[in-house]
Amino acid sequence: MRTVLNVSSGEDEAIVWANVLRNDGDAFVVIFDRYRDRTYRHALRMTANVHDAEDVVAGAFLELWRRRKSVRLVDGSVLPWLLVTATNLSRNLTRGLRRYRALIAALPRSEVVQSSEESVTARIEELRLAAQVHRALGRLSASDAALIMLTTYEDFSPSQVASVLGISNGAARTRLHRARSHMAEALGSLEATADIIMKESRR
Amino acid sequence: MSTLEMDPVFSEALREALMTTIKNTPRARHRWRWRVGTGVFFGLSLVAGGVALATGVFSPPGAPVNSPLGNIVTATRVGTATIDLGTPPATSTDLSLSLTCLTAGTFYFPNGSSLGCDTADLSQAPLYRTASEVVPLAPGVDSITITTSTNNSWTLQATYVNQVTTAWGVNAKGETYGVQNQSGTPDLIAVVIDQGTVHGYVEESELNCAAGGNVNSPAEALTWDQESQNRNISIPVYESNGTTVIGTFITGDATGSNAVTVPLSSLSLKC
Repeated sequence: MRTVLNVSSGEDEAIVWANVLRNDGDAFVVIFDRYRDRTYRHALRMTANVHDAEDVVAGAFLELWRRRKSVRLVDGSVLPWLLVTATNLSRNLTRGLRRYRALIAALPRSEVVQSSEESVTARIEELRLAAQVHRALGRLSASDAALIMLTTYEDFSPSQVASVLGISNGAARTRLHRARSHMAEALGSLEATADIIMKESRR
Repeated sequence: MSTLEMDPVFSEALREALMTTIKNTPRARHRWRWRVGTGVFFGLSLVAGGVALATGVFSPPGAPVNSPLGNIVTATRVGTATIDLGTPPATSTDLSLSLTCLTAGTFYFPNGSSLGCDTADLSQAPLYRTASEVVPLAPGVDSITITTSTNNSWTLQATYVNQVTTAWGVNAKGETYGVQNQSGTPDLIAVVIDQGTVHGYVEESELNCAAGGNVNSPAEALTWDQESQNRNISIPVYESNGTTVIGTFITGDATGSNAVTVPLSSLSLKC
């Protein structure tokens, strides 16, 4: 068995974050490289639109930098804060990203390239599911949406999300139960119209 | 959703934009920096250094002595990478690591300590942009990962070592002298002054007093902090006999144009 010393534990991330707080750009890039993909996938579930998801990732990391002094670490990690912020931005792209509109608009993007039929199929299927979730989440408040998404897809406990949202553990569990009921109801009724939603998501 | 990845063009541009945003933010003070030159021999790392650096370096009593076992592994990499060190020899107790930055950036050891280099550091000799650590060897560990951003380049020298901590010296007055270690603090603490050219000892009690250790009340602490903003304090440096003065050791962070250095004996605080 090989054991490799690594820096993936929460304790080590807290040290990296301490360097971010000293305005160390390289430390911030370590955080970006570590969580970019997870934030992107989360944003894609939230927005069901590739372009919007990219904007949300940009906004989330720019917000992480701007508000670095007030970020709440959960078990030594900034990830829950990042995902909750991405959730909030996804709920109101226009208002949430206003501060960064010019910067984000200036960032180049690839022409749409699909490398294989398999990846095209996968992408369409992912977007179809994302569109369903997106529509169902639209009926929830931003904090309830964050509770659902972070506990369902990202393996965070309700109490971990609660500490980022600034609510009690009890309130988090009650709201999560209620939000799950709403989601189940909404997803059931949306299944029949999934094709229409998928078309909307690709516009 | 795991089949989807972010557009690499957008991602890379965003990364650059974040770096630019951060560079335009005023840099905070107190960034950790590896120091070579004047310093107190606190703890292990300054004394022990890497094996490569330790050759010929003055080693005071009480310091750990690291005997290299096997070859020194040298590797140069870009970005985060893991270096295989081979099977540890049976008598290994620690790993000696020397990390040198080849580009600007921050480079993290596995224990979270880091080496920060800026553009100005790169014009310095490698010795002045090298951080050395001797870390206890955990069972089963035979590789080491250095973490940094994608384009940052570094060189690591690593070797397994057998570490033995030497005993403090005792002078004619019965005072112990050497470096702080697991046993505690000796009466005379080893220091280097004059850009590393003079090795000697300071009285632990005087060093403690010069650092504000004898402040007795919140009011005194407030006064001490205010006075310390523009004041450094010098204390005598002795030979190991604790009597012969061979120089002065200066403590404090005051660097402004109105900063003054005063001898400890001139202060009203009793030490």
